[in-house]
Amino acid sequence: MNGTMQKEPFRNNRVWFFADRTLVYALIAILLFVTLAPLIWVFSTSFKRNEESISFPPKFLPENITFDNYKFVLTDPGLVRSLINSFIVSIGSTTLSVVVSALGGYAFARFEFKAKNLIMSVILGLFMIPVVINIIPLYTMLSAAGMLNSSLALILTFQILIIPLNILLLKNYFETIPKDLEESALIDGCSRLGVLRRITIPLSMPGFAIAAVLAFRFSWNEFILPIVLANRPDSMVFQVALYQFISLYRIEWGYLTAGITLAIIPVLVLMLVFQKQMIRGLTLGAIRE
Amino acid sequence: MNMNKKVSFTALFLIVSLIFTMTSGFVFPVSAQKKQVSLTAIVAEPKERWDLLFNTALQKLKQKHPGLDIKLDYRVLPYDATRTQILTAMAGKTPIDLISADQIWLGEFAQGGFLTDLSDRAKTWGRQSDWYQTNWDGGKYNGKVYGIWAWTDIRSMWYWKDLLNKAGVNPESLQTWDGYLAGSKALSNALKAQGIQPMHLVGASHSPDMWYPYLWMLGGEILKQKSGHPTKGTYWYPSFNSTQGVKALGFLKQQVDAGIKPQVNHFWGQEFADRKFAVMLEGSWLLGTFPRDQWPTINHKVGMLPVFPVPNKNTKSTTMMGGWILSIPQTSQNKDLAWELLTTMVDPSVLTPMLQKEGYLPTQKPIGEGPYAVKLNATIPYYKEMISMIPTAHSRPNIPEYPQIADSIKQAIDEVYYGMKDPKQALNDAAAKSAKALGW
Amino acid sequence: MSNILAKAEPYLFLTPAFAILLIFLIFPLFWNIYISFHDVSFITILKNWEYSGWTNFVDLLNDPNFYTSLRTTVLFVAGSVALQFTIGMLMAVLLSQKVRAAGVLRAIFIIPWTISAVIAAFSFKFIFDYNFGILNYIFQQIGLQPVGWLSDPNIVIWSLVIANVWYGTPFTMLFITAGLLSINPSLYEAAVIDGATKFRSFLGITLPLLKPFIVINLILITMWSVNFFDLQLVMTGGGPLFASTTASLYMYRQAFEFGLLSKGAAAGLILIIINISVAFVYLKLLKR
Repeated sequence: MNGTMQKEPFRNNRVWFFADRTLVYALIAILLFVTLAPLIWVFSTSFKRNEESISFPPKFLPENITFDNYKFVLTDPGLVRSLINSFIVSIGSTTLSVVVSALGGYAFARFEFKAKNLIMSVILGLFMIPVVINIIPLYTMLSAAGMLNSSLALILTFQILIIPLNILLLKNYFETIPKDLEESALIDGCSRLGVLRRITIPLSMPGFAIAAVLAFRFSWNEFILPIVLANRPDSMVFQVALYQFISLYRIEWGYLTAGITLAIIPVLVLMLVFQKQMIRGLTLGAIRE
Repeated sequence: MNMNKKVSFTALFLIVSLIFTMTSGFVFPVSAQKKQVSLTAIVAEPKERWDLLFNTALQKLKQKHPGLDIKLDYRVLPYDATRTQILTAMAGKTPIDLISADQIWLGEFAQGGFLTDLSDRAKTWGRQSDWYQTNWDGGKYNGKVYGIWAWTDIRSMWYWKDLLNKAGVNPESLQTWDGYLAGSKALSNALKAQGIQPMHLVGASHSPDMWYPYLWMLGGEILKQKSGHPTKGTYWYPSFNSTQGVKALGFLKQQVDAGIKPQVNHFWGQEFADRKFAVMLEGSWLLGTFPRDQWPTINHKVGMLPVFPVPNKNTKSTTMMGGWILSIPQTSQNKDLAWELLTTMVDPSVLTPMLQKEGYLPTQKPIGEGPYAVKLNATIPYYKEMISMIPTAHSRPNIPEYPQIADSIKQAIDEVYYGMKDPKQALNDAAAKSAKALGW
Repeated sequence: MSNILAKAEPYLFLTPAFAILLIFLIFPLFWNIYISFHDVSFITILKNWEYSGWTNFVDLLNDPNFYTSLRTTVLFVAGSVALQFTIGMLMAVLLSQKVRAAGVLRAIFIIPWTISAVIAAFSFKFIFDYNFGILNYIFQQIGLQPVGWLSDPNIVIWSLVIANVWYGTPFTMLFITAGLLSINPSLYEAAVIDGATKFRSFLGITLPLLKPFIVINLILITMWSVNFFDLQLVMTGGGPLFASTTASLYMYRQAFEFGLLSKGAAAGLILIIINISVAFVYLKLLKR
């Protein structure tokens, strides 16, 4: 094995733990119901006209299906702008965190160095800090740097939600890859970075896929940091913009539920797209002997 | 896409987004002749009222200053976030020109050095006498003017006429404690089958607000001045655990004993509009839960008594006032212009259309009684009755420690609701905590 | 020369991560530690910060509400972690079987976690409402008594646990899935050849190899449950009778509702210590 990859046909190589196939599907059905039940109302309300939505007892099926709510959310300039902002921040944040965490995770997985345990503990310890007590110092710092209401500031700030997690995830992943694959490449004169790029990462795609999904999700969902650090109307993120439909006295249910449904889609799509990477890891994993 | 393509695509995207973000914060200069001024405001939701107010006020401001290109950037945030944002902006010394402050925050903000002293400007402005006294005083702290109370709301008794008819309850009878309790029983019997609850009782976090009127109507006070404070000489001391307080809390207990359930979730009148309750003590914003086109005829179906129930016929009723104060932060770099904006916003010609649309109540006599009142009277149901409550209404203390005191009082109310302590014990415990918070 | 470079290599790999964390986490942490020993509130933040020694911590430890919040936290966290871990693990394992459309199912299971916490809390506030909520509506339809999900002090914390479990379980599913996918399938083939039953393979091969993932997962979901306060703030505001006030919500209210930033910072530091201690316990227990 000198780092070249053989293309194996995709093998559906999953292992069967449960004796009973029906049991598996039954459990899955129950979990599906519990997962989706609270959202059924959200989903159906997004297709109702605003006046219909506040009726009680709740009606599950809209009397007149309307796409007006979605039309509104997708064409209102403020909301569209906030959607774009969310994408920029989330994609940027994901990319940055994956790169940074890959480097960091690799260091922990492959090297022995003096302060290893200490640094690892510190990183994990820092992750334990509740985000909310950091709001004021972060705001003061960014304000002084003139970086309030900027996507770049959000991209960097969100790293505190993700980096320690992804470092741990990728570290664990890298550790499952046999060292000898890398050793031979190193002997052949490859640099550490090269090894990381050409050998380790391709074999850890499931880990990367999941790291990316996690990073994206944490950035996409964040509410408290953006509402303080970026609340100028043109720099708001989608989750913050959505919240304006939940006014204290009047709730715009139609727009809100349409927005919630739309907000679910990106992470969902990412999961679906990256499933392939996760499965690819299975195939490659079989080579690791 | 294979690995390399993915990497380069993401890298390209990242570079593009970085460029985009770095230029998005760029302010593009407008015409060279006019001087550019940008005003920033942080205000609390709902948004509609600010859109209306700022639009009109900004127009007028621009007319008065043809040589200036005035831009207004206002952020509308949820209640909690407004408070947090004001705090962080002050801590970070961000220039902000105008804020909406809840009346209970005023002392805290003033003491913290967040707000500009407007006393001199207010004197020159000269409209102090236009304000109702309590509302003018509400914008003052330690004798100085720190904000202008722009509009207010009051809490009163709303009821469904048909439901009371059905139960054979005379609305007027609900004005006394005994009548209220008796009415509750009658309504409960009549409406049980329909699943409608008789009276609404606030169990949410603002329950103290709905208890204070009973304290006040008996002559009690939440706090009073006392000498001998460890550091301040004379300062506020809890007095809500007086005999009046105990009696007032006793009425809440009587309601619970009569079967009225405290509601922990609050929907600001929606639950009344949805006919889950026959009678509800709620703020004037309740009208907003009904569509505007129903307002002219709403008094056919919904009745309103401008009172909180009183212990006996000789006691005068009272209510609690809320609303928003407009202030100018210390960090503002355009204080004069901000002040102009503020005064324009509370000019009757500018403010009245917004009040009309939203159903808020004025804090100034020209709108409450003058020619503008006629307009509002014609569009807002029960306007005259609501205005009549303002002169005798009380407001909450605006001292910095108020949130902690309110928290202790809420705890006391909960303890009585759930039968854990009797009113006297609960209030005494709350007073002890409040005293500690006040530094005694 | 190359020896020094070789020794520095790991540190170089760690530099980007550490640089970011230094600016955005370590600086704020020191700020918080500093103010916890001073008297900083809304009213003093722009003025002199008087040194106050241990006063903030002492006040905290003397506040009965703080202890109540700690007790509530234990209930909230224990319930959440137990359920999140079990259900998440179940989901991950179920979907690693030869299930059709496992990818799509995984994507569906992750949906609760894709909503922002504030909106999820808001939705559950309505679902659990005594008068308007769908749960009580269904209960009444099938003849049961309506439940005071958010108004009964004895039940409210469990309603919050339910919401937290619905919301946070997808993470465990994801993380354990990552772990399952890192296991070489041929190991199972070898075991089957050796005559192991399916369940035995699970215990003997899967679980041990999953251990690093499980440990980290437990540490993280515990920590997140301890720090979580959006749910409580939106759903109940901490009531009734503080029965739903966890230490995290207590910390938030001290800092932002009462304006007592120093006390909030002190509470935050105590939370960090709790998190770290719990992490230690996990690591010790599962090191065997």
